[in-house]
Amino acid sequence: MPLLTCIVNGQEQIIDIAPGEMLANVLRDKLDLTGTKICCGEGECGACTVLVDGVAVDSCIYPAMKVQGRHVQTIEGLRQDGELHAIQQAFIDQAAAQCGYCTPGMIMAAKALLDENPHPTRQDVERGISGNLCRCTGYLQIVDAILLAAERTQDVGQVFQPAAGQTGMSTPRTVEVV
Amino acid sequence: MTKVLGVSIPRIDAPSKVRGTRKYPTDFNMPGQLYGKVVWAAQPHARVVRIDTSAAAALPGVVRVITAQDVPVNEYSIGGSNDQRVFIPAGDKVRWLGDRIALVVAETEAIAEEACRLVRVDYEVLPVVDDPRTAMQPGAPLVQEWRESNILCEMHIHKGDIAAGFAEADVIVEGTYITPYVEHVYTQPDAGIGYIDEQGRVTIIDSGQWAHDDVHQIAHLLDLPTDQVHEIIPAVGGAFGGREDMHIQHLLAVAAFVTRRPVKITFTREEVTTRTGKRHPFYMTYRHGAKSDGTLVAVEAHCVADAGAYASTTIPVLNNAASFMAGPYRVPHAKVDVFGVLTNNAVTMAMRGFGATQPPVGYEAQMTKLAETLGMDPVEIRLKNLLRPGDLTITGNPMHEGLGLWESCREAALAAGWREEGGRWYAPDLGQPSAPWKRRGIGLACSYKNVGYSFGFDDKSTATVDLILDEGGNIAGATIRCGATDVGEGVQTVLVQFAAEALDIPPERVRFALVDTAAVPNAGSVSASRHTYMSGNAVVRACQAALAERDRALREETGERLVSATVTYHGRSARPTTGWSSDPTGRGQCDPHIGYGGGTQIALVEVDTETGEVEILKMWAAHNVGQAVNPEMIIGQINGGIHMGVGYALTEEYVQVQGVPRTRRLSEYQIPTIWDMPREIVPIILEIPDPTGPYGAIGIGEMTTLGTAPAILAAIHDAVGVWIDRLPATAERVYLAMKSMQKTVVTVHPSGQSAQP
Repeated sequence: MPLLTCIVNGQEQIIDIAPGEMLANVLRDKLDLTGTKICCGEGECGACTVLVDGVAVDSCIYPAMKVQGRHVQTIEGLRQDGELHAIQQAFIDQAAAQCGYCTPGMIMAAKALLDENPHPTRQDVERGISGNLCRCTGYLQIVDAILLAAERTQDVGQVFQPAAGQTGMSTPRTVEVV
Repeated sequence: MTKVLGVSIPRIDAPSKVRGTRKYPTDFNMPGQLYGKVVWAAQPHARVVRIDTSAAAALPGVVRVITAQDVPVNEYSIGGSNDQRVFIPAGDKVRWLGDRIALVVAETEAIAEEACRLVRVDYEVLPVVDDPRTAMQPGAPLVQEWRESNILCEMHIHKGDIAAGFAEADVIVEGTYITPYVEHVYTQPDAGIGYIDEQGRVTIIDSGQWAHDDVHQIAHLLDLPTDQVHEIIPAVGGAFGGREDMHIQHLLAVAAFVTRRPVKITFTREEVTTRTGKRHPFYMTYRHGAKSDGTLVAVEAHCVADAGAYASTTIPVLNNAASFMAGPYRVPHAKVDVFGVLTNNAVTMAMRGFGATQPPVGYEAQMTKLAETLGMDPVEIRLKNLLRPGDLTITGNPMHEGLGLWESCREAALAAGWREEGGRWYAPDLGQPSAPWKRRGIGLACSYKNVGYSFGFDDKSTATVDLILDEGGNIAGATIRCGATDVGEGVQTVLVQFAAEALDIPPERVRFALVDTAAVPNAGSVSASRHTYMSGNAVVRACQAALAERDRALREETGERLVSATVTYHGRSARPTTGWSSDPTGRGQCDPHIGYGGGTQIALVEVDTETGEVEILKMWAAHNVGQAVNPEMIIGQINGGIHMGVGYALTEEYVQVQGVPRTRRLSEYQIPTIWDMPREIVPIILEIPDPTGPYGAIGIGEMTTLGTAPAILAAIHDAVGVWIDRLPATAERVYLAMKSMQKTVVTVHPSGQSAQP
């Protein structure tokens, strides 16, 4: 079994993984981070969106070995000191979650968007979640929630946000991925 | 008095959903659990000659290969027909690709998957019946060989004298409409875990829409008393009718029953898409007759619906469809014939609207075509004919108070810019299209459906309310115990708001108990837009009864700190319904529905004349809810219903060729993204109370999806002149229709003479 070393939600993890295992399965099955959802298993719907060094990826088709030495952030890592992240609070306030299954992926996609563009237009937000499918809400309250979160956090510092390449770990080791 | 109704409190489950801590069935794991994988039918129609599981059973890590012989009573279904087998045994037939041969249970999912490939099944292939219109003809190969014909059911309504009605008509419009197979696409794939609990009960944790009925079906197939089967529904990632039938519940139960160990099963998206039920396709032919002033005089409708391979809920779906076939209009002379026909296509079942979603694609196009033929405004012809309280439907029953359809049509039209002058209506100016090769159009649709189970079924919901009292006898907290599953629509939050209102306490003090069949009473299914009305009535009455208990305890100074009351609310207590059999003449005259909900939607679209692409600029949606309990959640239902309607109108079609699906996953079966949604939706919430609803409230969940597709089709017609009578109106279909200049399929018969306009 290959050993994967990475930082998940700020904590270093050393994980035995199966060759070819996808990140979503590792997070859910090995780390019990079940907030990351699997819906389509083919990178179509975005329910499994997590951030790898701040970039949103579809973790259901993202080989786990690719996060060797990198930072992974999941929905469980979004709260800080028990406080909800502004996006999470806005999703509650705008009734943006219905069945809730796409919600963690939506919120992580929104996080990637707002980290890159703290003052998005409505169109920017639409582009930011255009890869995420929802069957309940019709998306409009989700867009409203993300805009509300952006408005509320304009001058407030964001939670944990490593810059790309500054992972806080030694140089990634090369590991064979079969 | 705390203001609770009409306030958009956050959903009670929102915090756990945004944190990612809400546990869905696939998030549960147990020590020592095994994994199950299904061996599905490899042919849509074939006799199973031989099943050889020996190689699979011999694979290291395989614990058991479960087949038909392991199931004590190998039959089940929702609704009692019991025409489905848990596993198809050798000698029997597979009738569609969702039939199962075996369930492999192994130490890992990968081993189970590998072992599935080692199960050898020999088939004798039979002719596939894949079109209900030919399947209903005499001599067609039989899907269910114990029947005399593939016609599963037929419904007929005759009101007035149809020939006399058409003789009175100044204009007659005819049309044929086809709606496709549609997949629910709930985002959480079916999954769960089955185990034997500490009391020895077969227990399943999974997603479903009616836990108590699942338990009933599972107890039957395991030949156990119902108290030895136990289902827990923690959270449901969408349903839309798609979880009303058991897809995985029985497999989890059988696996635990046979192995006596926890067994987890998770369907892939491809399994959900290709092996579970769908919305019925309808093949509809309509004939509408009206006077020159727009008064409807006759409607004739003929419909053939694809029932797939098993009965499922086709009969109640088509009962409803028949009753709504002529639309929400006063029709003095009507003739409706509806047939449900078995094929080797996917099983068809409940899906948002339950038989009320397909007919408006036909009857609303007909109404707009009639208006156009008469040179009338489409709003005007509807306001002239819409059912109002007291008017008779085509089944001969008076329309109830609280429908609100006429009002919704007027409000939506005014909001969208229509003008009324001297009793005539005038459509708004639509402004300039965004490019010279684009055309704008606007269209509207009215639609309605039932609330609650219909046709004489004893619809009921039971709720228990516990009150925790402080020393002074004040309510410190309350718990609702009621088997109403929240599939995302928010019913549990609605019921909390009703209880808070009835008890006059803040909603934060009301808890909603986990849906666990061992701990909460049966509330019926989450379907038919019924829980707000049915379980709402049960909860409000249980609260009132619990308050009386509290008063008794205080009066008698018993010192009780916990009082409790249970109430079963029967729909028939306020509105008894009747079925077809109540009309001995066979004319289908009856009083089928407990309640009705309706609305009007208007679509403003832009059609690209070079590509056929349709962009929805704006929609207006006016819906009556009787009493708005949580306005933000109602808007969520409107937006979500429109989302499903946009997919129905423009992109979604589950394609099968000879019973074999071509749209197997989300990259092939496309639901709308944010880009496909209207840029703006204007929700118009009406509060015309239903006097029998809790605080006047009625359901809204399904109604929001009915009008979307017909409104969009009418808008496309308004923009570019073509009628798309077969859904979905893909860019290709719109483009080809424009190209062949099929300007219209309206046939006008002035004074009985046929003529093409």
